[in-house]
Amino acid sequence: MSRIVDRAGTWIGWALFADLASAFTLTFGYMFSKPVTMQYPDKEKWLPYSRYRGHHFLKRDEEGEIKCVACELCARICPCDCIEVVPYEDENGKRHPAKFEIDTARCLFCGLCEDACPADAIALGQQYEFSSFSSRDLVIGRDDLLGKPGKAMTGGGVVTARLNTEQDVLVEASEPQGYNWWRNIRRT
Amino acid sequence: MELLFALGLIAIKIALLIAMLLLLPLPLTWLERKIAGHMQQRMGPMRVGWHGLLQPVADGIKLLTKEDHIPAEADRFLFKLAPILALAPPFVVFVAIPFGESISVLNAEITLYVSNLNVALLFVFAVIGLEVYGVIFGGWAANSKYAVLGSLRTCAQMISYEIPMGFAVVGVVMLAQSMSLVDIVRAQSDLWNIVYQPIGFFVFFVAGLAEAQRIPFDLAEAEGDLGAGFHTEYSGIRFALFMVSEYVVVLLVSVLSVILFFGGWNGALIPLPPLLWFALKVAFFIYVFMWFRFTLPRYRYDQLMAIGWKVLLPLSMANIIITGIAFT
Ligand code: SF4
Ligand code: SF4
Repeated sequence: MSRIVDRAGTWIGWALFADLASAFTLTFGYMFSKPVTMQYPDKEKWLPYSRYRGHHFLKRDEEGEIKCVACELCARICPCDCIEVVPYEDENGKRHPAKFEIDTARCLFCGLCEDACPADAIALGQQYEFSSFSSRDLVIGRDDLLGKPGKAMTGGGVVTARLNTEQDVLVEASEPQGYNWWRNIRRT
Repeated sequence: MELLFALGLIAIKIALLIAMLLLLPLPLTWLERKIAGHMQQRMGPMRVGWHGLLQPVADGIKLLTKEDHIPAEADRFLFKLAPILALAPPFVVFVAIPFGESISVLNAEITLYVSNLNVALLFVFAVIGLEVYGVIFGGWAANSKYAVLGSLRTCAQMISYEIPMGFAVVGVVMLAQSMSLVDIVRAQSDLWNIVYQPIGFFVFFVAGLAEAQRIPFDLAEAEGDLGAGFHTEYSGIRFALFMVSEYVVVLLVSVLSVILFFGGWNGALIPLPPLLWFALKVAFFIYVFMWFRFTLPRYRYDQLMAIGWKVLLPLSMANIIITGIAFT
């Protein structure tokens, strides 16, 4: 009995375009719902999580000395062969890199160099805005790597930003957590 | 003097009409992208001008400065002719379309149409049928598989949907006892035709969707399976001409729906200037077109043919018979 009603109901619905009507109400509802677009870089900017693998940076120890001991393990494990380390020995007999170059144009940001490093000297930080017009600019030397920003501390979220064409994207106001950008996403 | 004045008036009207039809696709593309964006919870164009309002201008400049590429194996003459053939008929049709009764400017009554043909409806359907040549030539001349397939589909689709479309408006003609679009609108001053002709409107609108090659009937340029259909090989300004013609056809079908079934410039409830009423109704139909586009998937080719011949054609015939029995 219920099946017959069911079928009749389907048929009536079909004749009155019930499926189309529900589709149109759905899209109409979406039309007036808030967009989920993150307006990067005009208004907002995403903050990476602390586990984010962005641009590499080299660390210093407490004395301000570069941590890297130029063991070249990172260069060895790198699947893209994009790290080049040339060691030297300083007056105390310690090894340090005379030259440490990463070709970020070839790098695939796998993070293996970070895992391999015995001295905890290299890591992948939070910076993700380093596009360039020339691939030569993407070969980053030792001193630049020392100055790169480290791991993100806040993690996730969106903060207000403003595009500054002279420099990079400037983050203007940065609340520690930002907002949860899933808040407008409709899940039915 | 009298003649000169009349001729000058017609020239001015035609110039205005052409300017309007050429410029209207600009806001329409913006609107379409905005609607698409918001229906998908995106924002659409945002960066050129306020809320992306100048985006169509930027796109236009881009299209105008792109390389005008003609494939080596193409039939050069037909290839160049096709966009013009696709563009001209929708423009010509607007000669017969009334936008209102008349307005008085400097004590002179100026009618809001270029000409009030007594067979306007016939003229509209005859001329709009010619648009298919542009599509056929475009697909054929490009000498590309996708283009030929697209234009073959278009031919079949246009021809099979023109028939129910033509039959669907017969009911309207029977009610108004006239083929002049102005008379048809005047006949609806009490009650709009949609009340008498719901089936006619349904058939007309579905066939209009097919005629304008919009989703769910956009098989001719199905991005998923045909690249871009008949205009796959077109670039730059010629591609822009095809796009303009597509939007003008959308406008045309909206205008015709309003004139034939929704009382043209006759208002209801709120007293507004007739021209504004007309524009509002047309805008609503254009919105419906876009709403359909971002809601529905595409029909399969055999379904398209089945709908045309097995559903719309009998429905439109039945509509004629019912109208004939009930109202005359
Ligand atoms: S992240 Fe991977 S690819 Fe990039 S430098 Fe390190 S090891 Fe090489
Ligand atoms: S960064 Fe680490 S792994 Fe690479 S050379 Fe220096 S100490 Fe060795």
